[in-house]
Amino acid sequence: MAHLDTVARRIGELEADPESLDRTPVRTYWELARGRFLRNRLAVAGLMVLVLMVVASIAIPALTGDAWRTALLAKVNAPPEVGTTADGQLVFAPLGYSDIGQNVLARVAKATGTSLSIGVAAVVIIVVLGIGIGSVAGYFGGWVDNLLMRFVDIVLSLPGLFIILALVSFWGGGSIWVIIIAIGITGWTLAARLVRAEFLRLREADYVQAARALGASPLRIIGRHMLPPAMAPIIVAATLGVADSVVVEAALSFLGFGISQPEASLGNMLTEAQTYFFRNPWLVVWPGLVLVMIVMSASFLGDGVRDALDPRQR
Amino acid sequence: MAGYMARRLVQAVPILLGVAVISFGLIYLAPGDPIDRFRTPTIRPEQLEGLVRLYGLDKPLHEQFWSWLSTYVQVWRTEAWGYSFLDGQPVLHKIAERLPATLLLGGTALLVTVAVAIPLGILAAVKQYSWADRLISSLATIGYAIPSFLLGLYLLFFGGVVLGWFPLFGMESFGREGDPVDIAWHLVLPVSSLAVQQIAGWSRYVRASMLEVLHQDFVRTAHAKGLTARRVTFKHALRNALIPIITLIGLTIPSLLAGAAITEAIFSYPGVGQMGVQAVTNRDYPVVLAFVMIGGIGVIIGNLVADIAYAVADPRIKLG
Repeated sequence: MAHLDTVARRIGELEADPESLDRTPVRTYWELARGRFLRNRLAVAGLMVLVLMVVASIAIPALTGDAWRTALLAKVNAPPEVGTTADGQLVFAPLGYSDIGQNVLARVAKATGTSLSIGVAAVVIIVVLGIGIGSVAGYFGGWVDNLLMRFVDIVLSLPGLFIILALVSFWGGGSIWVIIIAIGITGWTLAARLVRAEFLRLREADYVQAARALGASPLRIIGRHMLPPAMAPIIVAATLGVADSVVVEAALSFLGFGISQPEASLGNMLTEAQTYFFRNPWLVVWPGLVLVMIVMSASFLGDGVRDALDPRQR
Repeated sequence: MAGYMARRLVQAVPILLGVAVISFGLIYLAPGDPIDRFRTPTIRPEQLEGLVRLYGLDKPLHEQFWSWLSTYVQVWRTEAWGYSFLDGQPVLHKIAERLPATLLLGGTALLVTVAVAIPLGILAAVKQYSWADRLISSLATIGYAIPSFLLGLYLLFFGGVVLGWFPLFGMESFGREGDPVDIAWHLVLPVSSLAVQQIAGWSRYVRASMLEVLHQDFVRTAHAKGLTARRVTFKHALRNALIPIITLIGLTIPSLLAGAAITEAIFSYPGVGQMGVQAVTNRDYPVVLAFVMIGGIGVIIGNLVADIAYAVADPRIKLG
């Protein structure tokens, strides 16, 4: 009963001197996590680079209009120019023009937007499928778990990238939605395994047993009691998943199966740049640089989020 | 051991069956039907019906699946995996022709990964926080962030086009077929583009594993009883640190196989990966199906090898 004595002593102290009460607000889990995240310089830099890319990919096409796809014969492989034309129109091409006279900066910005949207949309599918399958396997266990995990084994045994290639080529015709769905339905296995592992750990926890004893439905137990504490690894996997999906999309478009002219993608820009390498070698640099920066920023951000959400894992 | 291997092989059967169902489904659901390529302006409707009956397309789906699968497992028969739509060659012949090239590429990439990443990882762990550790870790971060297809493209330009040191495509030069030096020369760029990302991942993993072992009591004991640092590192710590690394081999084989498809396409390397990508482009369904099956079999063998190697390397693991 030592702790009761401590409490009683503390009450006595407070009655004697009310000013000794520590009025610092209690910091919640999320406030602590944000503090830990903000102290990680690399992670903050990664987040800033990604935010900057999102802003640029919206702002630059908005400012330059159709420049990202307008092919100007007079400007084929033209050097950089910034200024206004005689009739007062804004010309903003600090990276010059491509082999068919498209504004490279506008095109890189548009491509970044397309790639990131595909990455985020594919990750939404991955997370939904991963949570759905992983939580059912982890919550029910037994033969359900066994069956679903064998299904995961089967999907993991398929040559994923090649299946995506086949799906996009057979059904796609360059459709952005087919690319998103193809990446999504082949990529959920890691997310499902993470959710399952967390659920297997949580299902025996006292508070989950208590909820079950009180008659909560499986859906309520999963959604209200087990999913929130299992979110940390899902958020980390989603962050890294965006980068992976962006790379897959770029590889698809690079091989000519994904997005094609006049639409812009980091992958198809690289394919075009390949042909005109000698006349304009910079064309091969910019989309590649953006791609590497997306992957690196996402990986720093993912590491930072993991350390912030789950300090035990360090 | 034999019993364990047998059991693992039996466990692989349902997974392989699942891979077969999914690959069959992929082709079955693909737009267009198998007799489309016979539809010429001069063909009579009853001839088309005859083709439908010949290929069994009028039978229910499950019968089609079983008749396909029971033929597919008879790999000793030339026609078991069908014929390429493109050139009429038996698919099994085409694969047998190209598989050695892919195994050479993937195997070399795996060897290079092991040979480079393990020393780097050890160095980084033994000299933790030194400039060498920082350099290796930074390079690993960068290497991991460069997608292998992008690296392949850049290597092709700088090593092949700008410097002109390495051949741009293929596996052999005309007139020098079978010359090992020539083949090795052709392998440099594709192997580098496959291996860099793997080396980056592996070296981090080796470093972490080595650090964990270096902080254990038995390592301190080895130091305390007066062994040289060299002996402690390589004899006591390294052997234990490498055990978890073995699992990586099983994980690396599938990603090398998947990466090989794109790398082979970039370097026009005559392996199964390039054939697979071409088959997708041409909707050469029998070859697409074969590539998916080969991929599945490769992954299952890779995992099996890793599990067995793990059990052999770590006597604490009982195979039972």
